Amino acid sequence: MDESAAPILEVAGVTKRFGKFTAVNDVSFQIADGEFFTLVGPSGSGKTTLLRMLVGMEKPTEGALKIRGQTVNDLPPNKRPTCMVFQSLALFPHMTVGKNVEFPLTIRGAGESERRTRAWELLKLLHLDPNRYYNKNVTQCSGGERQRVALARALAYDPDILFFDEPLSALDARLRKMLQKELKDIQRSTKKTFCYVTHSLEEAMVMSDRVAILRAGVIEQIGRPDEIYAAPKNAFVAEFMGEVNLLDITAAGGATANWDTGRKTYPLNLPAPLEPGAARKLLIRPESLRFLKEGETAGNAVPVKILNEFSLGSRIQYHVEVVPGCTLTVERLREERASGEALLGWELADSQILES
Amino acid sequence: MSDKQPKKKFSFGPGLVGALSASPFALLMLFGFVAPLLCVVWFGLMPPKTFELLQAPTLENYRTIFEQTYFKSIMWSLGLAAVTVVILLAVCYPLAFAMAKIFRSGTAFITYAIATSLFVSENIRLFGWVIGFMKKGVVGGLLETWFGLQIDSLLYNVPVIVLGMCYVYLPFMLFPLVLGVNMVPDQVREAAFDLGASRWQVFRKIDLPLSMPGVMIGSLLVFVLSVGAISEAKILGGQKVVTIASDIESEFTYAQNWPLGSALSTLFIVLTTIVVFLALARFDLEKLLGKKPSE
Amino acid sequence: MIVSRTQKAGFSLYAGLVLLVFYFPVFCIIVASLSKRRFFSFPYPQEQITFKWYEDALTSPQVHDFVSVSLRIGVVTALASVTIGFFSALAYARYRWKGRKTFQRLVLLPLFFPQSVLGLALLMWFNFLDVTTSWWTAAIAHTVWIAPITTLIISIQAYGLDESLEEAARDMGATRWQILRKITIPLLLPGMISATCFAVLLSWGNFALSLFTTGADSALPEWLYARMTSGYQPMVPAVGVLNVLFAIILVLVLFGIVKWSTRKSRRATAAAGGH
Repeated sequence: MDESAAPILEVAGVTKRFGKFTAVNDVSFQIADGEFFTLVGPSGSGKTTLLRMLVGMEKPTEGALKIRGQTVNDLPPNKRPTCMVFQSLALFPHMTVGKNVEFPLTIRGAGESERRTRAWELLKLLHLDPNRYYNKNVTQCSGGERQRVALARALAYDPDILFFDEPLSALDARLRKMLQKELKDIQRSTKKTFCYVTHSLEEAMVMSDRVAILRAGVIEQIGRPDEIYAAPKNAFVAEFMGEVNLLDITAAGGATANWDTGRKTYPLNLPAPLEPGAARKLLIRPESLRFLKEGETAGNAVPVKILNEFSLGSRIQYHVEVVPGCTLTVERLREERASGEALLGWELADSQILES
Repeated sequence: MSDKQPKKKFSFGPGLVGALSASPFALLMLFGFVAPLLCVVWFGLMPPKTFELLQAPTLENYRTIFEQTYFKSIMWSLGLAAVTVVILLAVCYPLAFAMAKIFRSGTAFITYAIATSLFVSENIRLFGWVIGFMKKGVVGGLLETWFGLQIDSLLYNVPVIVLGMCYVYLPFMLFPLVLGVNMVPDQVREAAFDLGASRWQVFRKIDLPLSMPGVMIGSLLVFVLSVGAISEAKILGGQKVVTIASDIESEFTYAQNWPLGSALSTLFIVLTTIVVFLALARFDLEKLLGKKPSE
Repeated sequence: MIVSRTQKAGFSLYAGLVLLVFYFPVFCIIVASLSKRRFFSFPYPQEQITFKWYEDALTSPQVHDFVSVSLRIGVVTALASVTIGFFSALAYARYRWKGRKTFQRLVLLPLFFPQSVLGLALLMWFNFLDVTTSWWTAAIAHTVWIAPITTLIISIQAYGLDESLEEAARDMGATRWQILRKITIPLLLPGMISATCFAVLLSWGNFALSLFTTGADSALPEWLYARMTSGYQPMVPAVGVLNVLFAIILVLVLFGIVKWSTRKSRRATAAAGGH
């Protein structure tokens, strides 16, 4: 994203406490105009609380929320230029699709013909044929259709920023993938600012310009998806991205360390020197691990026993045991099938040292 | 999503809207319930046979109550109510079970058939029993034509009063029990059977504890309502049994001794309030109302 | 749940038996209301069946008066208790506020209270306030007793109300009043209609409260009670049967509404994503 553009939303040192419990702890970030920004974190990370503060349904205990430079801390949701698509979608069950989409215009006091024209446009934009859907009852729409109606309704409000509270989480994987792409397209064509909340980093990676990862009320890392993928800041972020191997290591001087597997320690070579005695995690992706053939060498090599294999389509995932109680995940192409005992190796450049 | 747990409603001034919406009801209760009851309590402290409220309070009425045989009618009321509760529990539980777990369309039919009676004055329904049980009534007539049996009136005795009370208050036991039994998840019962429990064990260990809120509410409702019953004893029981409620009523009507009636009422209120509070303190009604029955 | 055929038959038999006993008095009243004789005895020959008492009941100006008093009390009670119940249901089930738990407990208190004593208490209270008791003081008494019930009925629906609907409306700029008018009231309407039916029905059948609070006016159940305790009169069963019929008609209306609203809410929950 264009970092030099004036931020449309600025979160400065926002904290939210419920009694003694701190749900959001001194969070700061900015969202640029026209950006697709995603807040991602496991449940309990405070992302929903943060979102509710951004929309105005919750007031921050400390800190400032600014929209276009104006502090909006005390502005109720109906006075903010923001709109949220709820997890439950919150479509009004007693209204038709058309009336749902028109709702924000009705509230604003727009005339009948204006409302209708706008609703018609929006339904078309979202690939819902207005002739079929305008008078349809929302309760008769399918999951995907209702997602679109909810988005159309939010767009009808014409907010500066649209917020999404995991609206896709109830859908099946295929439909979710499709709607993710559609959402991205709509964001591009309408040039609106989208702020999306989800627990799935994968979903965040697909759609977003920038991603912020939350843990226990604190932002762990913020950046473009490829930045985060290439350089996770710590073990939490790395683990959150999916199945990775994280080895507990203690630096042993220079670019060497000891890997404590619980029963046995292995000496390893590190990609960079580390102060002796420092405890770190070593990140190795499953696809960076490979089984060494006779006589082949690698930056590091460990003898392992192959426990299980799972087919992932073109690739196979192996669970291998270093010592009982310590397993690693390996992903290889089908052609390089292995079984029994093997020597597992990886190149130094494919491993990263992370703070735990 | 567990990070929703500590969330609150959007609110300007926490809880102002809630308190505001509760206020009409609160005012109604203040002036239509609390104030009248205080009025009764105060009147109970007035000298006997007066209609004035502004005199020096005295405990004379309470002395009269303890000197005379009013405790007998209190015992009758409590006893009849207790018997009614026990009988209704035994009669209604199987029916509630069937309605909650076995019948499908039958449940709605029974519900409406029983609920309709709630809207017919209990006097009319009790009067039906009078016609049925009186000398040469429906039961007597049928017995005579079918079996040649001649019977006298079946009215004016204690069992018929109990029958009347059970009859009138059956809906108040049945519906809470249906709610209660609905709260027992089928899968839990099936799991218990699967683990080797007998029918009786399932009832004792699973059904009964899990449907307890319904059992409690039903018993409580029936107890309180039947303790205060007048009509059953009067219409079906003649003057065989005098309940506390009819004692109170006659102090107000025939005897025209409002202070004594008030003192009796106060005693009665205190008694029922103790029972209700003891029972209500033990569980959360919101659970029963708010939770949907599990499929 | 899997139940064997015999079990189901057994339970059905039992249910039938209970219903039979339950409707026996109604049967008796119907039988009595059709008997020509001034003093009822059973069985009576077929030629003695008559609808005379119904005619009498329907044309009697006295009965008209009682019905009119009962209806007036019912209508006022329904309006008052549903209006009050709507707001208190929101306080009960929807909003989170400080006194909510206490409120939920106290709401039920009048229900767990012997009505005859409540009636007496109100009589003394009205006497103390120097208010002459009449049909509208009875309506107040009925409202005190029925408002908790309407609160509970509307609360059940309010529990099912998805809060995010109101939040969404607010997010899109609706004011509190607009939310109430466009979202909350339409969604709670089925509950409010059934609460209205309940209120009219309960008020219509109530005796214990009316007995003490109607003053010079007299409601139908009071008149019936007076007639029943002072000896048999053949018009009484006929009025009773008509009374039951009225209740059945209102219950059928209620049934229709409940069916309609559950179908609606089922569709609504199905629409909520099925989770």
